[in-house]
Amino acid sequence: MTNDNTIGRTPNESPTGAPGGPPDLTLPASTDRKGRLGRVVHRLRPAEDSRLGRLIDRLQPPLERDFHSPAHDKKVTARLGIWLGVAFLLCFVTGLLSHAIQKPPSWFVWPAEPVNLYRLTQGVHVLSGIAAIPLLLAKLWSVYPRLFARPLVRSLPHALERLSILVLSGAAFFELTTGLFNATQNYPWGFYFLAAHYAVAWLAAGSILLHVAVKLPVIRRGLTRLGPEPDAGAMSRRAFLRTTYLATGVAVVATAGTTIPLLRNVSPLSWRSDRGPQGLPVNRTARAAGVTWDPTWRLEVIGVDRTVRLSLTDLEALPQRTADLPIACVEGWSQNATWTGIPVADLMQLAGADPNNAVHVTSLERKGAYRTSVLPATHTHGTLLALRLNGARLAPDHGFPCRIIAPSRPGVLQTKWVQRLEVR
Amino acid sequence: MIRTLLALSGLALLAYGAVLAWEFATSRAVNAAQGAAWFLGGPLIHDGIVAPAVGLTGLVLTRIVPTPWRTPVAVGAVLSGILTLIAIPLLWRPYGTALNPGLHDRNYGAGIVIALAAVWLAVVAAGVAQQLRTARR
Repeated sequence: MTNDNTIGRTPNESPTGAPGGPPDLTLPASTDRKGRLGRVVHRLRPAEDSRLGRLIDRLQPPLERDFHSPAHDKKVTARLGIWLGVAFLLCFVTGLLSHAIQKPPSWFVWPAEPVNLYRLTQGVHVLSGIAAIPLLLAKLWSVYPRLFARPLVRSLPHALERLSILVLSGAAFFELTTGLFNATQNYPWGFYFLAAHYAVAWLAAGSILLHVAVKLPVIRRGLTRLGPEPDAGAMSRRAFLRTTYLATGVAVVATAGTTIPLLRNVSPLSWRSDRGPQGLPVNRTARAAGVTWDPTWRLEVIGVDRTVRLSLTDLEALPQRTADLPIACVEGWSQNATWTGIPVADLMQLAGADPNNAVHVTSLERKGAYRTSVLPATHTHGTLLALRLNGARLAPDHGFPCRIIAPSRPGVLQTKWVQRLEVR
Repeated sequence: MIRTLLALSGLALLAYGAVLAWEFATSRAVNAAQGAAWFLGGPLIHDGIVAPAVGLTGLVLTRIVPTPWRTPVAVGAVLSGILTLIAIPLLWRPYGTALNPGLHDRNYGAGIVIALAAVWLAVVAAGVAQQLRTARR
């Protein structure tokens, strides 16, 4: 026991019974020799070599060198970084695609074939996001000791690099958490998800590129052969990597039933089920949309110089086409179904319009961000104004009396309860 | 050369993202406050709570779990953590949309319990196998 430890204690109070020196009367009564500790604190503090004392000592913030696990090896970091990079790249590209389909710039063309393309890209978007969750956590654990590197800041470039890593970490967590919550239609925030998720996606992509640029030599060295495992009590590097890949696989399988029919009953966390009317999920019920139908309803097809009004009976009397088309939502769920209705191109011709034009679709909904949609010219031939789903009339929640069902388009643009088609 | 290109394109994307983020943050008061909270909340909660908790759990596991069981139990803990994390938005829904027929209307409580049971069954199987292998040696 050091003499320091016995300050403020009379010898018979000493927990270990060792004789201590007399109190140093040259210091204020409330401080120790270094003028730091209060008398009360000192009395309560256990001796440094006691079990509790050692524990308290260990609870100090760690230093970089205190982390011994092989998981912190740069070779592990580099390998996880590659996979995380792949997941984020897939997420970014498919996210940009989905954004462009919903808010198309003038130069953007999205094909109507293959009909499952959007289902595929958005499924990849959501599942690569899910895969990125365990990968990000493992990657951050791998580099966690770096957080405790001292000095905190060595130089201006070093400060900027640390700042860019804060942006990277913030953006990555932001995208994954808001994305996961949005996919399950859960909104514990007051901002507009789409604008936030889109803006931060660019921050994430930019800071990842910058990070790769800074770390490229380290990554190159890290990607060399793993070599023999160092002897350690903790998980080996290979075991840590395998566990991460297993967790990634489990996370994907646990949710993939939302878009892959084969896994529907395997995935415990799939956010879609088979309980929707006519076997198809509903994103917005007729009640929520405030839509009621009455027989005086007429579909308006507004051509260039004439308007055609059609009752449900009129529509049912027109030549019908049946097609297998998927509904694929931005939230990642998708479902194939058999639809019967009139090709939108036929309706346009009925109103004297050229079918190679875009069509503005308006719903009976009175409000809501997706009350209207624009069907691009590329899609008019493949799109149905559907009257029947899987052989029966549309359920009210699926858009009765008629809805748009376009190939390879986001679900929110498959306008339900159609009131008007307009060629401008 | 390739590093310069990567860095420049990274800075360009960051700049575009910063413009978008600025427009987003200045359009409504709630955007700036809550956007910043969600942006900084991730690193803060992860670095300050999640990572230390995981590290301490790992430390405790290496102390109390005998060697043949160590890896299976650690893997089981990791899988349980990830599954629970992903289940949060399905189980905790005070801010969720009203239930829609066919969407987030399954019994996720039972789902996660079954998934965790499967994980820990596999942990026990792997642990026993590992123990037998060690004993035979």
